[in-house]
Amino acid sequence: MAVALAASAVLSGCGGGGSDKKPRLAVSAASSLTQALTSCSSAFADAKVRLEFGGSDELAARIRQGAKPDVYAAANTKLPQALHEEGRLDKPRVFANNELVLAIPQRSSKVHSLSDVGKPGLKIAVGSPSVPVGSYTAQALSRLPARDQQGIEANIRSKEPDVKGVVGKLTQGAVDAGFVYATDVRATAGKLVAVELPARLEPTVAYGAGVVRKTAHLAAARKYVQGLVSGACEAALHKAGFGSP
Amino acid sequence: MLHVDASARLGVLDLAIEVSIGPGECLALAGPSGAGKTSVLRITAGLLRPEAGRVVAGEDVWLDTVRGVDLPPERRSCGYLFQEYALFPNLSALENVAFPLRSLPRAERRIHALELLDRFGVGALADAHPKTLSGGERQRVALARALARSPAVLLLDEPLSALDARTRASAARELADVLRRVSVPALLVTHDFAEAAQLGDRVGVIDQGRMIQEGTATELAARPSSAFVADFTGAVVLTGSATPGERGLTVIELDGGGMVVSTDGVSGRVAVSVYPWEIEIERNSSEHGGSARNRLRAEVISVTTIGNRVRLGLSASQQLAAEITRASAERLDIRAGVHVTASWKAAATRLMHL
Amino acid sequence: MSIAAHPGLQIWFKIALGVALAVALTFLTLPVAAIFVNSSPRELASSLGDPVARDALWLSLKTTAISLALIVAIGTPAAYFLATRRFPGRAVAITLVELPLVLPPAVAGIALLAAVGPSGILGGVVSATGIELVLQTAGVVVALTFVASPFYVRQAHAAFGSVEHTLIEASRTLGASEARTFARIVIPAAAPSLVAGMGLALGRALGEFGATLMFAGSFRGVTQTVPLAIYDRFATDFPAALALSAVLVAVSAAILLSIKFVVGSEILGGSASR
Repeated sequence: MAVALAASAVLSGCGGGGSDKKPRLAVSAASSLTQALTSCSSAFADAKVRLEFGGSDELAARIRQGAKPDVYAAANTKLPQALHEEGRLDKPRVFANNELVLAIPQRSSKVHSLSDVGKPGLKIAVGSPSVPVGSYTAQALSRLPARDQQGIEANIRSKEPDVKGVVGKLTQGAVDAGFVYATDVRATAGKLVAVELPARLEPTVAYGAGVVRKTAHLAAARKYVQGLVSGACEAALHKAGFGSP
Repeated sequence: MLHVDASARLGVLDLAIEVSIGPGECLALAGPSGAGKTSVLRITAGLLRPEAGRVVAGEDVWLDTVRGVDLPPERRSCGYLFQEYALFPNLSALENVAFPLRSLPRAERRIHALELLDRFGVGALADAHPKTLSGGERQRVALARALARSPAVLLLDEPLSALDARTRASAARELADVLRRVSVPALLVTHDFAEAAQLGDRVGVIDQGRMIQEGTATELAARPSSAFVADFTGAVVLTGSATPGERGLTVIELDGGGMVVSTDGVSGRVAVSVYPWEIEIERNSSEHGGSARNRLRAEVISVTTIGNRVRLGLSASQQLAAEITRASAERLDIRAGVHVTASWKAAATRLMHL
Repeated sequence: MSIAAHPGLQIWFKIALGVALAVALTFLTLPVAAIFVNSSPRELASSLGDPVARDALWLSLKTTAISLALIVAIGTPAAYFLATRRFPGRAVAITLVELPLVLPPAVAGIALLAAVGPSGILGGVVSATGIELVLQTAGVVVALTFVASPFYVRQAHAAFGSVEHTLIEASRTLGASEARTFARIVIPAAAPSLVAGMGLALGRALGEFGATLMFAGSFRGVTQTVPLAIYDRFATDFPAALALSAVLVAVSAAILLSIKFVVGSEILGGSASR
């Protein structure tokens, strides 16, 4: 992760000078979009896309510190909106939905449903509150009765800075359950099983994206964002399990 | 009594040595570098294990490869003086000397160590660290340390080579003194035959891992068994008192009688050295002119032929060795018992402070 | 005139050296200086008052100290063995010991999981003993020890290898066993290098992030060390992250200096001169 930090700082510095043919587009996107965007971005006709994934909050912070990707795609709408209000992002648009789910290892004997997760002695991993998946999780849990919420929170053993970290702890067998996106569970191809949360708990997980202000490749960037809603990337997002806005 | 015999393969060198040293006796092993001299010391101390060998000190068997005995160095009672002294840099002189005195209670250790340092004249430097000491001072501390626990055997590796020329003369005298007074066998190693002659009761010449000849220094110089020994034993050393004389020459009165001159400007007690091959032999005792030449009347004690050269052991007031060609020896009809005149140039006479 | 004697080139060479030093110094000190410049003393103080920051600091100090103790306790004899014994496979052993040096932290984390994680090779053995590593402070110690030990062992190995042979031999001939020689002669002679190695290992351990996160997770008071805490707040509260970074730098520097001072004064007048 630190390597990505360093790498992006160097690369984004020299991203501007596009040569004659295809311009190079730098896209900073939430980790949960990894599989989907990686598969569709090479097909983007208008530019050579360089993708960088991380926690949405971390990516936003770097933009605030002066990093200059051309497109920013987050796992919530709060962060793009905040950046827009600070004048760093063009008006963002929602391009996909996701679902917060309870994920358990494939052959778990300990956890079968949400009610099991509060039992003493279990180990859970969640996202850190500053990361979208963490704040969604906090939202969902806050809608539970106090005692259930406390029971679950007492079992939290790790607050990961990135949703991939939560997935990792699950697949490694380090925790008995975790709160991640449905698309993440799908991406593990069977290693994890998703347990849907009751509708009243389910937060609205809307993904927003926008063109970064002062990008050198306005047209290409706009097209890319558009493509998230109605292009090759839209199809890829669907395939990965994201919902339409 | 120390007995060492060992055979070992050390790189390209095949070592096969046997030595026996009596109590209070010092055997000086002299030879060129790479001859294997230091290896003999190391085998004795247990720092090197030979393929086959025995090391017996008095009643104690330290090494016997046949019976599988091999005591580690710390269980052998050796006082080892290393060439560069190997003083522990993190300890003071006193702490260095006290290091081997583990068996004594702490207070006694300090007293004993201080006594030793005093005996070697460096008591005032007890709290100094090795890096602040001069070469000569370090040598004395190292010697004190080696003797601290009254070892059964004393081993010295080139004890004077790390000293500058000026300190060396006095250090040699002091060391010779120490060796005389020590009552255990001592084995000393040097590349310098004159040093071996001065410090050892007996000298063994080593080359290529083998002992070539063993005996007193005089015997080796007078009766070298091979050209190698002949070359190696080098200069004859006489002792005397020197005073400035006329025409810039120094006049030396030899101990026991006789006078020689030298072009060296040294006075006081001196060691006089001249190489055997610089000495000419004449049968008659005529006094020619040329006062820049030394002449001594001497009796031939021994005649040793090595190839084309003949070494003569001569006896004047002191022992001399001269070397002439075989042809000259035959021409002059030199035999044991005849009296000859040994002559050599004043310029070939080296003087050193004693 | 030979190139070496050419006066113009001599001066040019000296200038080049000076410039290189200036660039290196600037490059290395500017980021550190920027941390302090950009945070006010008030922010630093409030950062210290923040319980999350305090928990992280205490955890970092605790785990680094235990880690360093383990590294020195096991690494010192191991390095001595490597330096003084010839045995078949020695070169391989040395390479293996140095391996974590070249592993990216994330890879180190994965490696640890694969070895002693719950699904790892020895995972069953570890849990059978009742020890929990992943998600626990013990796991942080394991991660820190893994990534930082090569820094010390390599230094110690070189240090022991360069202790003058004759000193060791002299000690043995004076009646000291190998163990006593090691303690009284070898360690003091090697001390400056050992301390330098400890400093390097300390720095690495204090700053460790990737392997800790992957292997032990991130939870306040249990596994969230200062680097993890800095990362956690970097996105939402940059000034706080800056302040915590400043605290970490100050603490690291203080520990480093005190190690050098304590050990340095003990060996004053000894091999420090070498």
